[in-house]
Amino acid sequence: MEKKKGKMNKIKSVDYSKWGYLFILPFFLAFFIFQLIPLVSTVYYSFFEYYRSGLKVIGPTPVGLANYKALFESDFLKYTGNTIILWIAGFLPQIVISLLLAAWFTDLRLKIKGKQFFKVVIYMPNLIMASAFAMLFFALFSANGPVNHALVNMGILKEPFRFLSSVAGARGLVALMNFLMWFGNTTILLMAAVMGINPSLFEAAELDGCTPTQTFFKITLPMIRPILVYVLITSMIGGLQMFDVPQILTNGKGTPDRTVTTIIMYLNNHLYSKNYGMAGAVSVVLFIICAILCLLVYFNLNKDDTINATRKHRGKKGGAK
Amino acid sequence: MEVKTSKVRTVLAYILLLILTFLCLFFFYILIVNSTRSHAQIMKGFSAVPGKAFVVNLKHVIHDANIPVLSGIKNSLIVSAGAAALATYFSAMTAYGLYAYSFKFRKAAFIFIMLILVMPTQVSALGFMRLMDNMGLLNTLWPLILPSVAAPAVFYFMYSYMQSSLPMELVEAARIDGCSEFRTFNRIVLPIMKPAIAVQAIFAFVQAWNNYFIPALIISDNKKKTLPILIAALRSADFLKFDMGKVYMLITIAIVPIIIVYILLSRYIVAGVALGGVKE
Amino acid sequence: MASISFKNVVKTYENGVTVIPDLNLDIEDKEFVVLVGPSGCGKSTTLRMIAGLESVTDGELYIGDRLINAVPPKDRDIAMVFQNYALYPHMSVYKNMAFALTLLKEDKNVIDEKVHEAAKILGLEEYLDRKPKALSGGQRQRVALGRAMVRNPSVFLLDEPLSNLDAKLRTEMRSQISKLHQRLGTTFVYVTHDQVEAMTMGDRICVMDKGVIQQFDTPQELYDNPCNLFVAGFIGSPQMNFVDAVVEKADNGYALKFGETSLKIAKDELADYVGKTVVVGIRPEDLSFDKDFLQDGNTIKANVDLDEMMGSETLLYLAYGDDKLIAKVPSPCPAHTGDDIEMIVNLERLHVFDKETEQAIVNC
Repeated sequence: MEKKKGKMNKIKSVDYSKWGYLFILPFFLAFFIFQLIPLVSTVYYSFFEYYRSGLKVIGPTPVGLANYKALFESDFLKYTGNTIILWIAGFLPQIVISLLLAAWFTDLRLKIKGKQFFKVVIYMPNLIMASAFAMLFFALFSANGPVNHALVNMGILKEPFRFLSSVAGARGLVALMNFLMWFGNTTILLMAAVMGINPSLFEAAELDGCTPTQTFFKITLPMIRPILVYVLITSMIGGLQMFDVPQILTNGKGTPDRTVTTIIMYLNNHLYSKNYGMAGAVSVVLFIICAILCLLVYFNLNKDDTINATRKHRGKKGGAK
Repeated sequence: MEVKTSKVRTVLAYILLLILTFLCLFFFYILIVNSTRSHAQIMKGFSAVPGKAFVVNLKHVIHDANIPVLSGIKNSLIVSAGAAALATYFSAMTAYGLYAYSFKFRKAAFIFIMLILVMPTQVSALGFMRLMDNMGLLNTLWPLILPSVAAPAVFYFMYSYMQSSLPMELVEAARIDGCSEFRTFNRIVLPIMKPAIAVQAIFAFVQAWNNYFIPALIISDNKKKTLPILIAALRSADFLKFDMGKVYMLITIAIVPIIIVYILLSRYIVAGVALGGVKE
Repeated sequence: MASISFKNVVKTYENGVTVIPDLNLDIEDKEFVVLVGPSGCGKSTTLRMIAGLESVTDGELYIGDRLINAVPPKDRDIAMVFQNYALYPHMSVYKNMAFALTLLKEDKNVIDEKVHEAAKILGLEEYLDRKPKALSGGQRQRVALGRAMVRNPSVFLLDEPLSNLDAKLRTEMRSQISKLHQRLGTTFVYVTHDQVEAMTMGDRICVMDKGVIQQFDTPQELYDNPCNLFVAGFIGSPQMNFVDAVVEKADNGYALKFGETSLKIAKDELADYVGKTVVVGIRPEDLSFDKDFLQDGNTIKANVDLDEMMGSETLLYLAYGDDKLIAKVPSPCPAHTGDDIEMIVNLERLHVFDKETEQAIVNC
């Protein structure tokens, strides 16, 4: 008897796939409504002239790339420069010190006591409300604030230093805050990465005669390269978004002389003054930059993921041996 | 020779650690000290010793009509708790959907979420504002809570956790036992995910608590503002009229509750950072 | 009625790989059937199709008279014991066992009765309040059994339930499961890769390879009359010896000749194979020093590579030209490593296979 191939009514079987769609629906629905539509809308308005002049509303009228033209003729590039400078000033110390601490904490020969205490302390600033942190620094480092009082009393300064009026001072404060807020997080991430490296590699290196410094540069660093790249790119994306700290520190003005104004502060100004056209243009340019960085992160994650593969998670397998 | 350089490095390490600890803790120490001193005391000079004006400052802050702190705390709590609950529950649900079921767009969906993993929400702020305006949700807390349903970073953490801790056999056993799919998720999967949910709930809560940029665009009504927006309002207020005691007290209110929770749960929080590995 | 029938069942995975090309299998009600075979032979897939955890790509699957291709697992009246037990880690033993009944909203007292009854049979009564992580492997195994028992299903499915246990526990649990089958009187389908387990527990055994049933028979039949080389080599420990031999005509029948050995065999099925090479199968236990079996030419001269004393029996690893043979003889064994010996073949228990088709020609 021949088996009927390609029957008209194929017998159905148990199929759970529709549940997959149901379970992921809320996420994608929320994303669609709260991120995708806004993004499309933002891009849309970037091609329109749409702002407020006094009490009148001008537009919306389509003007093609006029907003973008105006964008690059404005101080946008200066603000981009500011953002990058502020980011690097915080990131460089952050990555150097995090690497240093991660190396020391994971070095078995250096018996550092109180590791848990230090870990708790350095991570803490990451949880601080950035705007409150900036407000705090504003109060502490003002001309009449505690820091100046202390420095003058100790004789280090003759008279109060106007941190907030000097370019180096203001930028330095922003960089310091960013550094404090993030170096703990980076240290713990890097520590986890280093601990994911097979210990026999280090033992082999020691037998081969490697000094700790050599081990660090020749073995540790190359092995955690994917995570370093990840930290770099995500920090860059975060840096481009820098807002809370400089905004609160300078009350949105970027003093002195708009050297502390960041891209998002610029965007925020347009949003507040209801200049939707320009706000759209800024957003789109920023989006394109971030999208490129996003892709870099994605490809980096998908490369050889040995570090993550060897790291054991602490989960328990239910009921199984 | 080796032992000696080891000792030198250890000393160097301690010195650096102490400097960093000082930097991390000093500013908050000053903060708390100054929140206990009156405006006059603060203006007089720096002091390492706390004062006695804590309650007074607290009273001033609470009764300040321009900065409604109590409603600020309430709003921040509602938003943060809501965001944390939504983010963790729906991220677990989405992770489960992609982990336990095979369907046509499974791979595409996963890749998509990985692509948007680190994309910031600020770039669509303009469109978001206008959409909330059109939906009549401006000046409400909903726009600060609802978008948390789609939280790619939390999703990835949950997904990784499932890969290592949720064997499909449990789901199969539940199916044979007669459990419906949705019930299996709520009664079997979620209890197993408790550690991951706890860690991510804390991070989501803190992130929502500290969130400033987009909430400031949505909320204009004083009574609906969250704490970060109130801080910004304080900053842009008339400087000369500042009562510095009040300023420090307000900052303390914004920061210290989180610090206290952190200290109590620090072991789990720090472990959670490492567990989540590269993806926060 | 809980018989199980596969009719022309095909299983193809999403990536296009067909693991089961055309399965026809009839399991009778109340039977204890073992699906056995090497890794990847399709036995687990077959079991999971009965459970409804794998979809049936083509063909028909029946439990009793019911076509169950599209019926979800919970409506099939089956229970399953997983290799890794799959106990709910956040529930106590009691709750694990009661879960299915709780979902059916059964009366609390009825549930209590059933759980305690199962717990008593399996010796779990003092563990009812514990969580799985506080139990040993054997205890978890019994909880998994109890969870299945409580549901009183018409079909019991077991997927390599003993693989994670140590040898001693395994033997103990084997008898427990067999007794359970007698007590419950339901259909049992049991998957394992261990042929010893299969032989001791099954009413009938289904030997599978590459998704195809090789032979479906009682243990004794599989042992005495394997239908092809695969089954002959799979069943029996140590494995059957295979030697190439040429068929020659001899008085009163035929002779299988290899080396100096000539095995006389009077089976007509060999008529077509005169002059051709066939594969002769001799089980290790059918090689001996017993002179009672000596006939004209039925000896094999070999050298002992290694002797392994196993207690009541000794295994002799023999080098025979380029071939290797294994013999199983009672202890104490007269031969030792390095000796040149002559072993006698029991002609009543020979197996002959077609060298190309690998099918059995003769099973004595």
